[in-house]
Amino acid sequence: MTDVATNPPQTAAAPAPAASGPAVEAVSPLRESLGIFLKNRPALVGTAILAIILLALLYGTFFVTADPYEIVWAPMTPPFEEPDYALLGTDYLGRDILAGLLTGGWPTLAVGAAAALLTVGIGILVGALSGFFGGWVDDLLMRVTEFFQVLPALLFAMVLVTLFSPSLATIAIAIGVVSWPQTARLTRAEFLRIRELEYVAAARSIGAKNSRIIFRVVLPNALPPLIVSATLTVGVAILFEAGLSFLGLGDPNTMSWGLMIGQNRGYLLEAWWPVTLPGLAIFLTVFAISLIGDGLNDAFNPKLRSR
Amino acid sequence: MDPLLSVRDLKVEFDTRHGRVTALAGISLDVMPGETLGIVGESGCGKSITALAMMGLIPNPPGHLTDGQIVFEGEDITRASPRRMRQLRGRDISMIFQEPMTSLNPVFTAGDQIAEAIMLHQDVSKKEAWEEAVELLRVVGIPEPRRRAASYPHEMSGGMRQRVMIAMAISCRPKVLIADEPTTALDVTVQAQIFDLMRDIQEKFGVAIVMITHDMGAIAEMADRVAVMYAGRVIEQGRADDILDDPRHPYTSGLIGCIPALGREAASAERLPPLAEIPGVVPPLHLLGAGCAFADRCPLVHDRCRRERPPLAPHGMAAQEFLGGHAVACHAAEREIAA
Amino acid sequence: MGASGYILRRLGYGVILLLGVVVLNFLLIHAAPGDPAEVIAGEMGGATQEMMDKIRADYGLDKPLIVQLGLYLGGVVTGDLGESYFFNQPVIELIGARIVPTILLVVAAQMIAITLGVGMGVLAARRPQGAWSAFVSVFSTIGYAAPVFWTGLMLIILFASMLPLFPVEGMESARFSGGPILYALDVLHHLFLPALTLGIIFLAQYARLSRASMIDVLGADYVRTARAKGLSERKVTFKHALRNAVLPIMTVAGIQFGNLISGALLVETVFNWPGMGRLAFDSVLRRDYPTLLGVLFFAALMVVVANLLTDLGYRLADPRIRTGGSRK
Repeated sequence: MTDVATNPPQTAAAPAPAASGPAVEAVSPLRESLGIFLKNRPALVGTAILAIILLALLYGTFFVTADPYEIVWAPMTPPFEEPDYALLGTDYLGRDILAGLLTGGWPTLAVGAAAALLTVGIGILVGALSGFFGGWVDDLLMRVTEFFQVLPALLFAMVLVTLFSPSLATIAIAIGVVSWPQTARLTRAEFLRIRELEYVAAARSIGAKNSRIIFRVVLPNALPPLIVSATLTVGVAILFEAGLSFLGLGDPNTMSWGLMIGQNRGYLLEAWWPVTLPGLAIFLTVFAISLIGDGLNDAFNPKLRSR
Repeated sequence: MDPLLSVRDLKVEFDTRHGRVTALAGISLDVMPGETLGIVGESGCGKSITALAMMGLIPNPPGHLTDGQIVFEGEDITRASPRRMRQLRGRDISMIFQEPMTSLNPVFTAGDQIAEAIMLHQDVSKKEAWEEAVELLRVVGIPEPRRRAASYPHEMSGGMRQRVMIAMAISCRPKVLIADEPTTALDVTVQAQIFDLMRDIQEKFGVAIVMITHDMGAIAEMADRVAVMYAGRVIEQGRADDILDDPRHPYTSGLIGCIPALGREAASAERLPPLAEIPGVVPPLHLLGAGCAFADRCPLVHDRCRRERPPLAPHGMAAQEFLGGHAVACHAAEREIAA
Repeated sequence: MGASGYILRRLGYGVILLLGVVVLNFLLIHAAPGDPAEVIAGEMGGATQEMMDKIRADYGLDKPLIVQLGLYLGGVVTGDLGESYFFNQPVIELIGARIVPTILLVVAAQMIAITLGVGMGVLAARRPQGAWSAFVSVFSTIGYAAPVFWTGLMLIILFASMLPLFPVEGMESARFSGGPILYALDVLHHLFLPALTLGIIFLAQYARLSRASMIDVLGADYVRTARAKGLSERKVTFKHALRNAVLPIMTVAGIQFGNLISGALLVETVFNWPGMGRLAFDSVLRRDYPTLLGVLFFAALMVVVANLLTDLGYRLADPRIRTGGSRK
């Protein structure tokens, strides 16, 4: 009996347990997640779309050095009518839409990325302090978070951008300042969960400093949901920038997709393309980022996926 | 006497990532009126699937009932229409579950949930149904039943919730009550109370109980007859006393060895060390070969066990012909008996 | 704790939150570079020192900041939000004329989003691997990724020329004559496209959330219990499962109110909807501080009220919250 107990049964039909022992440990969770991500078709489509958009922007900026302000043909020339001058038509002033598309993504993407970075940075800092220390720190920070959640974000951002004069930097900062509360709440929830786990107690018991526990022990374990959230935040920030530009509150010196829509919307019924095409570009960018975010989410939570 | 509910060669398969997997590989059981049949086995052996099949609640997809019959009062309910099945469910065959904490809907009061079952199967007004629900709560031993009927599940203890589940299950005087691990999630003292209550209910209403459990102690406590399941098959079947006193399948012996000998006549405990554990786990169902599924864990295994699956029949007889008797699917046991 | 005590406590907290927001906005706006007196004087035809001094005195801009704040807070408490620098009208009147269309738009969009979104999500959850479920997943990603102002413009192209079923501009027909009922129908007719536009983003989110929530709940033990009673699948889904699945959706719907108002700013611009969006935009560009502060105050007020209503609704929907206080 004891003999059987110490030697678990292994049949020829089940080589899996023997092989999976060391193999499972060799594959790090991150590698495993990457593997799942690479098998996720929508996520790959998203990655491909985003790559194409970035390549197109690079091409437009550095190879054809398109000028989105130059008047190239008669106003409101439809797409494909003058393929040599304005392949995708012109806007209400006669400016090349394709040139706008190929260059107007930079402010959108740059602001989106910078704002997301700022959002996640503030959010993680506030959420980590709140969730890790609890008590009055938590109370105070959560009250502050609530203040920021009471004001509609776009309105607040609009005020910030205008009062401090619009530029790419102020826009990115404004979006970051109004968007962080959700990340903070998510981080806080993760920290509250993780700080009760045994390895945190273990780190404490060997006398690790708080800063070390926060950044080296707890944060790495809270990362998967935060990475997903950060990805989606880029999408939200892009929509934000587009909205501000559409309202004419963006950086006045930079052509952007949102601005193109805003400037041409008065001529919408005469010329659909100057409005439709930049919007499509914004949509595809955010769509691609969402697919990537969803893919990351599935990769980090394979259990949810199998349902 | 004819069985009230009889399962014949029931086969259930599930679609999984490993392809189609057999969960029940042709099992046969009989439930006689007013008796308690215990179905015992480790998790994954198919006992809960058997219970769900009797209720017509195998989730489809991924589950498929591919062969066999379940005959209730002469009617094969595997062929019954969904409408007919809903009539039977809760009225003639009802069920209580393992997790009283999560088996009641948190947003409705206990009384509402019992009255809903009553109104579904009986032609009564809402008020009459509510009164009946209060009466049922009294029957299952809940103090202040009128006040408790208006309580929500989260306001009750686990034992009390299981009593509410029992009240709901017996609300239409079913002929069969299936209890899937009814006490596993409860404290030991509460377990004993729930068993007492189930015996009372059986005496009062004459309901047949199918008790699903992994715990031989619960079998000893409750069952008249026992079917021991392993890897989707019944491997030993007979009167509870016979099986507890004289288990023939090494797996059953192992299960009995797992009962703390407390309070039980240690008749069988002499043959096995107390609290012995059965080594290993139930093999994954998709990896089952042609031989006995227990072979890899069996202390008495020999070559034939790996080649040829032993049938559940004493000396070539069909199991159901041997209702009062003691059937076992084991080559070793057969040799022992023959010897 | 009783329900009324809870409501009082929440109300009190909401008031404190609002006052805090007012102070924050006030300080922020006054910390910003740029002098409103100069802007006003400029509009009046030339910023002489004399003129700017007079304007400062008129609007109390010459007093210390803390005094200005005190006066402003006193005004807010008594319902006086000051006078607009440009419209020569009390701010409260300016907002009063525009807040109803905004509330109408936001509430209609929320209702469209919740009913359609939950409906789609529930149907998808019944067959999680089915074609409809896949469609809902794709649709919710698309609806979420499309910029709301662009969706509105696309709908205008569609409905202005190709399919002229709904008006694409304003809140009422020009030279409208008819009784109040006809007027209400006219407004609803105009409301349709803006509300749909704003609703689509949130619809997408609710569809995705309710699909997940419903799949979760349909696997719950109490749903199995409901089936074991013999209930029809329709009753199991819509009575037992849905009541539980909507709880997380209610929470999110409450949080979304601020985002709805943000989206409404853009949608109002697209459809020339006469709400607070235009006023917010103008007051921020013109540094019309009293109006801007008033707009911010009312936006925050709407969010606080919506959150309060959501909390109360949640307490009604989930008995565990309602009576949980006495047990813990």
